[in-house]
Amino acid sequence: MDQPRIGVYVCACGTNIAKVVDCDAVVRAAEGLPGVAVATTYKYMCSTPGQEMIVADIEEKKLDRVVVASCSPRMHELTFRKAVKKASMNQYYLQMANIREHCSWVHGDGVEATQKAIGLVRAAVKRVAFHEPLESRMVAMCPNTLVLGGGIAGLTAALELADAGYQVYLVEKADHLGGNLARVDLTAPHLDSARDLLRERIHRVMGHPHVEPFLGAEVQSLEGYVGNFTATVAVPGGNGAGPAAAEGDDGPTDGGGATRSPRTLEVGSVIVATGYREFDASRITHFGYGKLPNVITSFEFERMVREGRIETVEGRQPQYVAILHCVGSRSQEFHAYCSRVCCMTALKYAHELKSAVPGCYVSDVYIDMHAFGKGCEDFYRRSSEVKTLFLMYGKNDYPVIRKAEPGDDCGMLIEVSEQLSGELIEIPADLVILMVGMEAREDSAEVARLVGISQDKDGWFIESHPKLDPVATTTEGVFIAGTCAAPKDIPDSVAQARAAAARILGKIARGSIEVDAVFAEIDEEACSGCRICNELCPYSAIEYKADEKRSRVISALCKACGACVAACPSGAIRARHFTDEQIFAEIVGVLA
Amino acid sequence: MNEDRPTVADLPTVADLPTVADDQTAARVDRPARRAPTGAAGSFQPRIVGFLCNWCSYAGADLAGTSRTPYAASVRVIRVMCSARIDPTFVLKALAEGADGVLICGCHPGDCHYSEGNYKTMRRYPLLKRMLADLGIEDARVRLEWVSASEGQRFADLVDDMTQRLRALGPSRIKTALATDHAER
Amino acid sequence: MATRVNPKLIDDLEQYGAEDVSKCYHCGNCSAACPFSQGSRIFPRKSMRHLQLGLEKRLEGDLEPWLCYYCGECSDECPREAEPGETMMSLRRWLTSRYDFTGISRLFYRSWKAELAAVLLVALLTAIGFLLLGFLGGDIRIYDGPGAFLPSHVVHWFDWAMAGVLVILLSINCVRMWWFTLGREGRESGTHVPLREYIARAYLLPFHFITQARYSRCERKRPWLVHLVLMLSYLTMLVLIMFFLESMQSGPEIDWRVHAFGYAAAVGLVATTAYAMWGRAKRAEAQYRHSHESDWIFLILLFVVAGTGVLQHILHRADLEVAANIAYVVHLMGVVPMLVLEVPFSKWAHLAYRPLAMYFAELQLRAVPSRAPAETARPAATS
Repeated sequence: MDQPRIGVYVCACGTNIAKVVDCDAVVRAAEGLPGVAVATTYKYMCSTPGQEMIVADIEEKKLDRVVVASCSPRMHELTFRKAVKKASMNQYYLQMANIREHCSWVHGDGVEATQKAIGLVRAAVKRVAFHEPLESRMVAMCPNTLVLGGGIAGLTAALELADAGYQVYLVEKADHLGGNLARVDLTAPHLDSARDLLRERIHRVMGHPHVEPFLGAEVQSLEGYVGNFTATVAVPGGNGAGPAAAEGDDGPTDGGGATRSPRTLEVGSVIVATGYREFDASRITHFGYGKLPNVITSFEFERMVREGRIETVEGRQPQYVAILHCVGSRSQEFHAYCSRVCCMTALKYAHELKSAVPGCYVSDVYIDMHAFGKGCEDFYRRSSEVKTLFLMYGKNDYPVIRKAEPGDDCGMLIEVSEQLSGELIEIPADLVILMVGMEAREDSAEVARLVGISQDKDGWFIESHPKLDPVATTTEGVFIAGTCAAPKDIPDSVAQARAAAARILGKIARGSIEVDAVFAEIDEEACSGCRICNELCPYSAIEYKADEKRSRVISALCKACGACVAACPSGAIRARHFTDEQIFAEIVGVLA
Repeated sequence: MNEDRPTVADLPTVADLPTVADDQTAARVDRPARRAPTGAAGSFQPRIVGFLCNWCSYAGADLAGTSRTPYAASVRVIRVMCSARIDPTFVLKALAEGADGVLICGCHPGDCHYSEGNYKTMRRYPLLKRMLADLGIEDARVRLEWVSASEGQRFADLVDDMTQRLRALGPSRIKTALATDHAER
Repeated sequence: MATRVNPKLIDDLEQYGAEDVSKCYHCGNCSAACPFSQGSRIFPRKSMRHLQLGLEKRLEGDLEPWLCYYCGECSDECPREAEPGETMMSLRRWLTSRYDFTGISRLFYRSWKAELAAVLLVALLTAIGFLLLGFLGGDIRIYDGPGAFLPSHVVHWFDWAMAGVLVILLSINCVRMWWFTLGREGRESGTHVPLREYIARAYLLPFHFITQARYSRCERKRPWLVHLVLMLSYLTMLVLIMFFLESMQSGPEIDWRVHAFGYAAAVGLVATTAYAMWGRAKRAEAQYRHSHESDWIFLILLFVVAGTGVLQHILHRADLEVAANIAYVVHLMGVVPMLVLEVPFSKWAHLAYRPLAMYFAELQLRAVPSRAPAETARPAATS
């Protein structure tokens, strides 16, 4: 192999890297490495001037390899690939060294961090010498979309795609559409009816020529890759739509069951909008949920409001109502996160109570009032104007609910160490509403496995990038929308659903999609036909040609995990872009 | 078209913008929340090669970075698509090149991006360990752990823990032994 | 032991003028704006909170409302328009009714009609009484001297009798105030104030009463000045009436000193009450933005009293004796209800409670642990 001409670009990332790593020292070390023709540092390599510098160097200094030492390749590998492509260099001649996430952000000692950065750059330089030019593949994009979940996010995404003229398969586990929103009466802060929001959407979905809804159905498997997925859906009764119940009062119930038959669907993209389930309030024993009959959850209260009967189990109108925030949320024991919608929902209850039960006293027991979003602060102010008594309790210092004594004029007493007054106080209550938080659904792990996406520690699906790409996932072609990704309110769910639809429409518009050129290939000369790899491949991407007694990789099916590469006893399988030589070079590089 | 109209190239880019915010951010986050073991104090800083799968563990290590979770500067990460790609020879190569330890990280069982790659790693690993034991290489030098994309803290803890153990064990003599071996022949 | 929240108290306080308390979300701007809010006396926020929660006993024991002069700074700073200044004012009204053992105060504050009826009734009785006195023993054409329609020595005697009754009523209420703020609070917290401190700090009472020194520390000076002029004018007039009534009412040979002080005090009273009424009507300043009915009744009575006092003097000097006597009767019809009803049961009670509160506040700082509870609190003997 001829001596390559490598350009090394060390990014200072403002001060993010330069504050800890001595970028000039890294440049000096890189200059001394064999094959390095240019080494330089710049404030932001990802900026336009930074990228232009690389392009210019490739053209002027006749570089044939590029190493960028900057942030994680998960962040900017595509950016720099595009840059080198601009200079007519094969994009796979690029290698990145992660000296930000894996170095400057985690190491305080400048000397050690610089040493480590030099090691990582050396590894990248050694590796990039072994890189090969690879051509990306273009595959056809199937314009059909599979939407999982018929709540507000799923309905919105389905309509967005269907209105654009593309086929949508909407799979809902329950026997009705609407999801959790169908269990809600009014919405905060404008007190619009949730039913009105849903009715039109459900009506349109049920009658849309481009939407095929499956109620009481479940996806059993999803195979293939972006643009070319095959989904198997278990459909009740074997026909298309299940029972045409539009909205239901209760939470998701498994519909169908006995007489399901599979349907095979060809889709190009998947939107996961499976929603959330409410926190089980009986897990918090201090609140007495399940033991004290007049302690109810927010969803139980919603039902009372929808039925127009706000009363205790004894059938009396409550004089004192207490609303407890953060049930299951923002606690060490249960969920550390904020469920985002409960504060405004609680304020909504205060308004509903004040108008439905004149003369009742509403206590709102919270940790912090999270009133972000349009119109919410104003809603909070209006709630205090209707004389809601706001009480603040400490995080992890739960209020305790107990039955009142016979002489008291209330049914229950809530003991709270109240933060704003510093007093230990008792709040009278006839009805206690627990604002149960959101949590990942019980089947979320199953769904994640089914479509090949990851979950965070709380079970929420992980987005491709928390800020810049909150709709896509690490699996290309699979998108997430609504509360399955994290707690969010209706406008955010709808926005995410529409964004997911827009991303898919963009892909459909291009007609075909570029897939990574990284896959495994078998050197048929070296292959002994032992067939070990055939069994290993989870995608059945290796076929055995019995006549030749050789195995062959079907590149379109290969997802480049490399399991077969490591297992081949003859060393006949090469993982493109992750070859043994490349990784050995990297090992030598980090340790030299 | 008006010639004076600015083109995209004339617009300020990130690099042209004032960097006060960066400095402030850096000042705020650069204080390590706890003391990570460093080699600067004269004690032996082991060299660990980390093989991390792209989908879970590499993302987890990235998360440790974005959350500014400090850990020992002993580890050097090599990214592979799946822990199943890790050929036992990679581990041997790393030890032969002078690594004091090798850390293999993959997705938690059941969470593999490729459905079952980590199960293959799990099956291969004991065989590798048996061979290493036969070669007289200490148990603590090679380790397989599961780190998910949300476990930045866990990755940091793992590196620190392994660093402490290797520090107790002392530098690996495999590379020098191999060198003398060659010389004697 | 947890304190029971009473969400109904806030409704009760509405009758006393506190309308916007529930809007408060405890940002603390009010306390930051108040120059008096220091140390453990964080007001008005603390009082707002106690009121929102309906902690009646705490509120009864709070001296804070009396330590506030309603400069209005807090209400101006409030981002939620929760009117903390007006809340403190309402709490003073509520406390006045709490200190009052008769329950009359509570009745007056909750019903302006009752208060007005009481004023009119007392005025009517006064008119009947003095007219009877006048027509039985005197001549309506004589204003002073022998045969006067209302002889000054008789009126003077009546003044002293009324003062005695008022002092007794007010004293009982003051003792109740002591019990709520020092006695009961001390017993519950296991502390007491040594007697020598009561004696050593007693000078604070006349000091604060006469100087209004604390009020002068508010950032806005005009309300203090108006209040000081009003208070000093009233005090001057009180002294003149209680000790020099004969001299005041006598003819041209009137003592020049009485004359000078009398005129000054009369001008002061008329001017300040007129100013206050104009301010309340126009809602000109923060402290005038909200007016409870009791404020108006008090101001109108005071203005009528001051005005008729001046009028009778002018008429007398103009030798219009009959008219002067009629003005005198009307004057007494104002004076008597003003003193009998306003001093022990309504707004004017603050002349006693405010200096007392400052005295008690100083004493609270000097409380020492009582011995008895300390003994019982000792842990059980080791085994």
